[in-house]
Amino acid sequence: MSDMIDLVESPEPDTNLRDEIRQISDRVRRRRQLRSKFMITLCALALSVTAVPLFLLLYQLFDRGLPVILHTGFFTQLPQTPNLITPNATGGVSNAIIGTLVLSLYASIMAIPIGVLVGVYLAESVSKLAASLRVISQTMAGAPSILMGLFAFSFVVRDLNIGFSALAGSFALAVLMLPVIVISTEIAVRGVPHTLREAGLALGAKPHKVSMKIVLPAALTGIVTGIILAISRAIGETAPVLLVIGGGYINSWKPLDPVSALPLSIYENAKSEWPSLRTEVWGIALVLVVFVFVLSLSARIWASRKQQAR
Amino acid sequence: MSIVIPPPPDFSSHEEEVPEFNPGASSRTWYQYLLILAALVFAAVSVGFVGTIIWNSAPEWAHHTGTLLGGNGWQSPAGPFGGLAMIVGTLETSVIALVIAVVIGLGASISIVFLIPRRFRNIVATFVELLAAVPSVVYGLWGFLVLAPWMLKTVIPWLDSWPFAKELFGSVGQQDGQSLLLASVVLGVMILPTFVAISREVIAVVPNDLIEASLSLGATRWQVIREVVLPTAKIGLFGATFLALARATGETVAVALIAGGVANVQFHLLYPGTSIAAWIATEFGEAQGNEVAALMALGVLLMLVNFGLSLISRWLVSRQRKVLAVV
Repeated sequence: MSDMIDLVESPEPDTNLRDEIRQISDRVRRRRQLRSKFMITLCALALSVTAVPLFLLLYQLFDRGLPVILHTGFFTQLPQTPNLITPNATGGVSNAIIGTLVLSLYASIMAIPIGVLVGVYLAESVSKLAASLRVISQTMAGAPSILMGLFAFSFVVRDLNIGFSALAGSFALAVLMLPVIVISTEIAVRGVPHTLREAGLALGAKPHKVSMKIVLPAALTGIVTGIILAISRAIGETAPVLLVIGGGYINSWKPLDPVSALPLSIYENAKSEWPSLRTEVWGIALVLVVFVFVLSLSARIWASRKQQAR
Repeated sequence: MSIVIPPPPDFSSHEEEVPEFNPGASSRTWYQYLLILAALVFAAVSVGFVGTIIWNSAPEWAHHTGTLLGGNGWQSPAGPFGGLAMIVGTLETSVIALVIAVVIGLGASISIVFLIPRRFRNIVATFVELLAAVPSVVYGLWGFLVLAPWMLKTVIPWLDSWPFAKELFGSVGQQDGQSLLLASVVLGVMILPTFVAISREVIAVVPNDLIEASLSLGATRWQVIREVVLPTAKIGLFGATFLALARATGETVAVALIAGGVANVQFHLLYPGTSIAAWIATEFGEAQGNEVAALMALGVLLMLVNFGLSLISRWLVSRQRKVLAVV
């Protein structure tokens, strides 16, 4: 703008006016474009900075974790507590792997049926209850996971007097998974074209038949994707299970036994005094991250394949 | 941390399109009863979730509200249990993390939407999602075993070598690398994908007409972004910010591992501290009697803050949708 004022005050406006305007506008344009390029570069830089932690972390995980998981017995042995005579005896993590599987299995059994049904209800109903459940599910989906642990502790461990157990842990994880499944199911069911539903109704099918036989199969991809994402989220969570599963040192599939879990043994080994356990922890972390990445990537790839096929 | 769930489309605005779910009670089938039953179970679980935590914290609220909100120092196992250190720590870590996440995340979302060719956009989005899929305990492990020793060995001596370092930072060399600042930085990385997931979506739906109109008037790319895109997406970006802040307040194990777990009101960011969620995680195992109630009370506090932020975020994002519907 200041350039414009110069222009008015120039002594010989008639002769050089055109040239001068061109010069000034060139200058202004160059400055603006330089500024634009600079800011755009900053944005691109921000995107590459985003990638840095992921690559650093993955590098560290593979660098330190691979030797550990190639160690014999890592997947099959029970953990041992190192002592002064055998400071490097860490055993394996079979209990944590089985524990994680057990926890996600029971949590899925609890969360999937209710979650899917509630999602369908939210998609098909316009009642007040549905509207408030929608807000509740979105709020619960972001709730701090440690609170699920507090809930499971007071309700399952203490009030129901079940004690520290796989059941309590999977209850906490189920509460965590429920809203995720509800939200994704609702989106998937809403995504089914109305023409399909109306065609079914026009053929004389009862509304519940249409819902079960036409809408649900059509929405299945989305629902399953949501379920897999919910499971992969639950598998990685430490905070809720930390308070309630008891950290058992045995391989057990029974719901009432205390179990361990991969994230829990990462948390506990990391804080351990023994260097051998702090080395082993990278192997456990690698297993957990591979677990979670495979789940979420396969969900994503499957969903996009199906989307293209449609 | 966790899988990012972008807020679903605002269904309330076009509810009329959906055929009504058989309101006539006479023709309700077992299927509809089943759906309603499931909905009631879900409602009961949610109410039980909130109710149980509040109920169990009641004894502590009844007698020691002042200590919980304003007291410093946590005398396990008998009390008093002061929550000020955790409240301050939560504020410090999540606000610093938020600043990091918003500054980097805004740039990242802009480049994902405007710089990356459409073909690669999905790949980049997947990368960001993987960043979100890494479990928080792994971030914690990384910070605890890699970054904290690195801080201790490299960064802190370097800071100490500054002139007036002692006056500015105090005697930082004594700590073992875990600090509020390090926890905040890792927390920032963890909430970054949450922010990007929403802000990317909000930026992407800014109408092309607006962008093309300003381009045709001779605006440069940055001018378009600054004068048109960001103002149009402003409300939604605030929504993304609030959601990221909500996530930051609730993050538990990473902070528990990296922040150092010292219950002391600490404004020196290179010193160890703690947050509400991290304190619950570290103390709950050995807690007895009143301490359980006190930790539950901290949980209530966390829940209130988190739910409040989530609801504000949801409201903002849905308002953004309405604004764009008008444009």
